[in-house]
Amino acid sequence: MNLDLNFTILAPEILLTILAFVIIIMGLLISDKSKNMLGYISAAGLLASLVYVVGNGMTGKFSYFYDSLVVDPLSQIFKLIFLIVSLIAVIASIEYFKDNRNQDEYYALILMSTVGMMVVASANDLIALFVGFELASMSTYVLAGFEKKNPASLEAALKYFIIGSLSSALMLFGMSLIYGISGTTNIPGIIEFFRTAPLMAQSSLGVLAMVFLVAGFGFKMALVPFHMWAPDTYEGSPSVVSSLLAAGSKKMGFVAAFRVLVLALVAIRADVQLTFAILAIITMTYGNVVALSQRSIKRMLAYSSIAQAGYIALAFVVTTPMSIAGGILLALGHALMKGGAFIAVAVVGYMVLSDNKNAKNIDDLDNFAGLGKRAPITALGFFVFFLALAGIPPSAGFIGKLLLFYSITIEAITPTGILSSSWLLLIVIIAILNSALSIYYYARVIKYMYVLPPKGEKIKEPAAYVVAILIAVAGTIGIGLYPEPFINMAMNAAQVLGV
Amino acid sequence: MAGLISLMILISLAGALITFLAKTREQARTIALITSGISLAISLLIFSDFNSKISAMQFLESYSWIPSIGVTLKFGLDGIGMPLVLLANIIIPLTVIFAWGETKQANRFYGLILLELTGVMGVFTSLDFFVFYIFWEIVLIPMYFLISIWGGPRKEYAAIKFFIYTHVASLVMLLAIFVLYFNSMDVTGRASFDMFQLLKSYQVMDGDLISGVISLKDAVFIGLLFGFIVKMPAVPFHTWLPDAHVEAPTAGSVILAALLLKMGGYGLFRVILPILPYSESPSIMITLMAIIGVLSILYGTFLALAQRDLKKMVAYSSISHMGYVTLGVAALVPLSVSGAMYQQFSHGLITGILFMSCGVIQHSAGTRIIHELGGIAKYMPKLTFVMLLGFLASLGLPGMSGFIAEFLVLVNSYFTLPTFVILALFGIVFTAGYHLWAMQRAVFGTYNEKLGHIHDGANYEIASMAILVLLVIYFGLNPNPVLDMMTVNAEQLLKSVVLRGVIT
Repeated sequence: MNLDLNFTILAPEILLTILAFVIIIMGLLISDKSKNMLGYISAAGLLASLVYVVGNGMTGKFSYFYDSLVVDPLSQIFKLIFLIVSLIAVIASIEYFKDNRNQDEYYALILMSTVGMMVVASANDLIALFVGFELASMSTYVLAGFEKKNPASLEAALKYFIIGSLSSALMLFGMSLIYGISGTTNIPGIIEFFRTAPLMAQSSLGVLAMVFLVAGFGFKMALVPFHMWAPDTYEGSPSVVSSLLAAGSKKMGFVAAFRVLVLALVAIRADVQLTFAILAIITMTYGNVVALSQRSIKRMLAYSSIAQAGYIALAFVVTTPMSIAGGILLALGHALMKGGAFIAVAVVGYMVLSDNKNAKNIDDLDNFAGLGKRAPITALGFFVFFLALAGIPPSAGFIGKLLLFYSITIEAITPTGILSSSWLLLIVIIAILNSALSIYYYARVIKYMYVLPPKGEKIKEPAAYVVAILIAVAGTIGIGLYPEPFINMAMNAAQVLGV
Repeated sequence: MAGLISLMILISLAGALITFLAKTREQARTIALITSGISLAISLLIFSDFNSKISAMQFLESYSWIPSIGVTLKFGLDGIGMPLVLLANIIIPLTVIFAWGETKQANRFYGLILLELTGVMGVFTSLDFFVFYIFWEIVLIPMYFLISIWGGPRKEYAAIKFFIYTHVASLVMLLAIFVLYFNSMDVTGRASFDMFQLLKSYQVMDGDLISGVISLKDAVFIGLLFGFIVKMPAVPFHTWLPDAHVEAPTAGSVILAALLLKMGGYGLFRVILPILPYSESPSIMITLMAIIGVLSILYGTFLALAQRDLKKMVAYSSISHMGYVTLGVAALVPLSVSGAMYQQFSHGLITGILFMSCGVIQHSAGTRIIHELGGIAKYMPKLTFVMLLGFLASLGLPGMSGFIAEFLVLVNSYFTLPTFVILALFGIVFTAGYHLWAMQRAVFGTYNEKLGHIHDGANYEIASMAILVLLVIYFGLNPNPVLDMMTVNAEQLLKSVVLRGVIT
């Protein structure tokens, strides 16, 4: 660990922060008409940051600001996720919010929330973690309600805001308890403290702190029973924002959990594993079962997103480097698949609205009839994303799930935790059955798209959407076809945690 | 010459993608024909270079893919895979020619057909269980669309039934593969999905799935067997097949019967036979397979006899013919096993003719219901000629390839499974019965005037059927080009059976 004042490695965050302010100021100066260019500027900024993050490399460890921010493989891979998701969302927004006079605020908020997420990814201190969380959350509360004239969007934002605030409060309370016990907010310091004094973590106060933290992160990750905001919020928000929420800001909860909950593992490993085993199973089953009956595709995607969170949470069940790597890979894959799928819903919305300006329920399943003929690229995108979400090879979703299930099975051969091999195997079997179940609701949409006759003319898909979808498709399939470098990246990231 | 197998697979995949992008129907079908033609040429090149005297894998290629979990892209061919790859490359170009007149979404139609070629070739050549499974699943998706877009009135039901039924079976197989994988990791301490490695370490697997009820060895065996016999399909897991066939377009039916069913049989030779002698109770497993085989032969025959729809009859006849494959494998005699392999090859050719005949009749007369037809030979002389030869081949007329296969299976299985063979013999009588009876009612006799004026099949349809007929006759008179390599491999496979003293 080298402590220096060379901030070039934090340049992406700095660049995006400055860009956000520049965009706000530009919004005041330029006419409403020329605001369309702000989208391109934001996309360029995000792309530059993305290039910079990749250029910084995925190895090495640097520490900043008295060890409150670190740049290590774990933070890098999650920054990659956040930047890709924001980039996709911004590219699609160029079309979605075209000619909207509040574009400046919109793009500034997206950039701010991205910075927030990146801070969370890098946070090595509970305070930095919380500040990052709040920055990202505050920005996304506004984004969710950005369609001011649409009551559903307002409801989504309000619900998201209230529940989000509650979860922040829970999290903060948990953090304050931990600070009270250990006397430090530095995460490695806390882990060191608990390692030397495990009894403190097992005390009722320590357990209470863990419960609050799990609940706080659980809300962000949308694990059952902390999930109820997700379907309404994802359904009501503008599709491009749903894409950012489901694909990006949700992963914030995971990276925080990866960093912080490992400290709990030091002392009360068994209980955390059992808790997450139960949460994961309930979450994936609930998400998949409820998704079966949805006719609103955004809602279906929301429930499928809950189910995916359940799979990712399996990483905590065995907490071996490989399981964490699987969780990270699935998070990366899910960001691409879910982000792309919500953008594709935006195209369907565009299509339906161009048929009929006053259409309601634009993401209803019926509007997907014959999509393969009306909007072939969008339909292809859905096809790839859905198969990937169902875990069909070769796709990012498949590799992530494979690594997760695989790591649990290996653990089952020689169990070290509280869960015996037959319980671990049972968990894997339930997860696999869940994957099989999910094929049903994905296949139903695919059937609507390709088998049923179209209800209207072929449309010209706006270029911005096409680019965003194709980036996500390329990523989804690319990781599936050539997973080795990504597996290595995720393994490096998992090793940082020292589990 | 290494690299030919992956070249063949890649060309068909690339051809499929280009076909999807084709703008016109003309482009689509031309690209499809050229691609499948190139693939056929490569397969013939491989075939001509193939040494049929040795049982080892030839044309081996291996590329690293996901080393962290031991997945390699490993391809190779031996006497089990070679004839089937050849079969796939014969069937697909002929199917494209047969379906030359397809107008509905032609680019997707031909693209999906080529994708099927990619999938089945991958299944028949991959030597890594992981890659094998991926190809095994890839095959499902184009077929689902072929049925659900170009199918008959109940296409959606049939397509989803086909998909779910076979997918669930594949998942069971996947579980068994993973048990094999982890077992092999336990034994060798090395993560690898290498097919032979996994099958080899099955020999030292121990432990119980549910203690006192079923051992892990038996559970894995049954899981794999289940995956394969559902695909074949064998009674009692055959119910998806008639629905799928009746609703599928003709090209889909041909590919389904000629190639997809063969994947199940291929699994029996490639996976089941090497582990059978090492399973916990081989004799029970052999009896189980023999029962399934004979049941499929008899039940398929009787159901075919009862059908009113010509295509459904052909579908049930497929079940009955695939029963010989299971029976031949269960008998564990070198020649019965190579007979079963030959049956796969021969049935692939013959069933193509039968389904194409049904397609031509449906297209021309507007119905396939046997009693609504009658005397169509009068207006369809060309079709009648090739169809009659196809039916004769299917019922096992000497001089055609089907005879050799079924003769080998029945005669040689008698050494080890006499009771089952005697039962199966009853099937032969009825097989001849339903074929001839259907021909007599549908094609010959007095012309049913209600049909109005009907025309003969198009030249490209008749031509592709005629080529198949010629091949059936050729391989009926001279089976050696493919039978030799099958026998070599069958003998090699059965060495361990003799070694273990499973049969005397």
